[in-house]
Amino acid sequence: MIKTRVSNNRLMKRIWQHKLFYLFMLPGIVWFFLFSYVPLYGIQVAFRDYNFVGGFTGSPWAGLKYFQQFFNYYQSGDIIRNTIIISLMKLLIGFPMPIILALLLNEVRMIKFKKTVQTLSYLPYFVSWIVVVTLMQRLLTPYGGPVNDLLGSFGAESIQFLNNPTWFYQMIVGSDIWKNIGWNSIIFMAAIAGIDQQLYEAAKMDGAGRFRQMWHVSLPGIRNVAIILFILAVGSLMSAGYEQLLLLNGPATANLGSVLDVHAINSGIREGRLSYAAAVGLFQSVIALILVVTVNRIARKVSDVSLF
Amino acid sequence: MERKWSLFSVFNYIFLALVGFSMIYPFIYILAYSLNDGKDSMQGAIYFLPRQFTLDNYAQVFDNARIWKAYQITIMRTVLGTFLHVVLCTLMAYALSKKTLPGRSFFTFYIFLPTIFSAGFIPFFITLQKLHLINSFWVYVLPLLFNFMHIIIIRTFLQGIPEELEESARIDGYGDFQIFLRIILPLSGPVLATISLFIGVAHWNDWFSGAYYVSNKDLIPVQTLLQEMLTEAEALSNSMQRAAQQGGQTVGGVGGAGATPESLRMALLVITVFPILCIYPFLQRYFVKGVMIGSVKG
Repeated sequence: MIKTRVSNNRLMKRIWQHKLFYLFMLPGIVWFFLFSYVPLYGIQVAFRDYNFVGGFTGSPWAGLKYFQQFFNYYQSGDIIRNTIIISLMKLLIGFPMPIILALLLNEVRMIKFKKTVQTLSYLPYFVSWIVVVTLMQRLLTPYGGPVNDLLGSFGAESIQFLNNPTWFYQMIVGSDIWKNIGWNSIIFMAAIAGIDQQLYEAAKMDGAGRFRQMWHVSLPGIRNVAIILFILAVGSLMSAGYEQLLLLNGPATANLGSVLDVHAINSGIREGRLSYAAAVGLFQSVIALILVVTVNRIARKVSDVSLF
Repeated sequence: MERKWSLFSVFNYIFLALVGFSMIYPFIYILAYSLNDGKDSMQGAIYFLPRQFTLDNYAQVFDNARIWKAYQITIMRTVLGTFLHVVLCTLMAYALSKKTLPGRSFFTFYIFLPTIFSAGFIPFFITLQKLHLINSFWVYVLPLLFNFMHIIIIRTFLQGIPEELEESARIDGYGDFQIFLRIILPLSGPVLATISLFIGVAHWNDWFSGAYYVSNKDLIPVQTLLQEMLTEAEALSNSMQRAAQQGGQTVGGVGGAGATPESLRMALLVITVFPILCIYPFLQRYFVKGVMIGSVKG
């Protein structure tokens, strides 16, 4: 009894000593409550007939009505398939690209050249998707755009790149790579810089050229970082990038570009079907969670590297 | 031997030069286009330099009251949002960097949990509605006040500051708050610069809030304005351009000087990108470190 009171007092004293730091944290605690935990609590609107007056808890229960509505929607299969196709393409093509860039940059001996290319490669990451899409429209238009001018000078027919089903995936994946490759390569550059130089010396002794050093030393050296980032990337497999798709979807490509995020945003905000959209969003989050946990488990089994 | 140019390194240099070029060329092209006479631009064949140099597009963009208003909104939200974000995240990170703080791991988990399991877009949107943030300027600032990753990056940096500094300050009679203000903050320049860049760019580039949370035209930021022009101008400029190319100089009005929706759009785009273009190269060495810390400790 006496002992606990003493330690209680000691804890209270320690808390009191740290009062200023709790004050420092107070805005953050309130903010995370309002903007993260309240919405988490609000997930239940997916199971309710949401109306503004009733709010999160006062609206009548609807059970699984909105999930059924989504799965019965004639396009839901297409929407899920589009989401998976687009994000798989981004993952399979886009994921290795920053690694390749980092490996190639690492082979450059002219420091100035290397720094210049690196600096330029970060640039697109810092502009908005609006800017990227505006640039694409201007550069790729068949009416006086430089890309089609160049094609024309080789005698090729000019191409309608945007809002064209034939080129849709190339545009989506290509612009995604262009925007993110430099930024995503930073972490791999850092990992390569952390590799023990003696390993390179040893490889050189064994007669390995630059390319073989890259293959047998650099690449294994960034393996762990790559696995972690891959797990994270798989977690977002269910979201194909709503900003980009909201902007790049045109009437002609709507069939290919209608993905879960875009569907939820459009049906939720544009059409005001909030409960339905929340159900779509929840479906997406749950699948994402399952994917991360699964991939994490596989990674742990196969390679001893895991996120959690 | 080491200096010898192998086939691999020749190809490597050429390839990387092309990569670098592809990153910067779109911006060079847009700059040239925006500095060229709008109607002349419709004939195409501008690549690196303007053909009929003019500042007319910029004059017209700056002449437009709506664009000024949008710019004002963007600058206000960026300055205010960045300042508040950095101050509040730093305070929180400093508290969490105290190893003696009771409940430290609980609070860390409290802010970490929403990053792995978030509610999704619609419950968040409803929360904004309930907080009366829809159609208000504060919808740009408040939802971006905190960010788990940024707090962790700052915390990791602060933990690297030797504790002896604090102890000696305490001996000199400094209180907790004075230590924070006079010892910790002055040493945190690099990490604060990184976080400012991250959040500043996020504020500057955000078009989504303007498009989906706000309908009041006076509250639209620049990026959202650009987005509106994107949809409006595309059809218009394509048809004008087609006419210009098919009919040459004779088609109505073409040949005379003047701005077009397309040339105005490009001028607006340049003004939108310009501030970022100026800032990020200088902050590079900081944010490279920031990304590393964030990914290692995250």
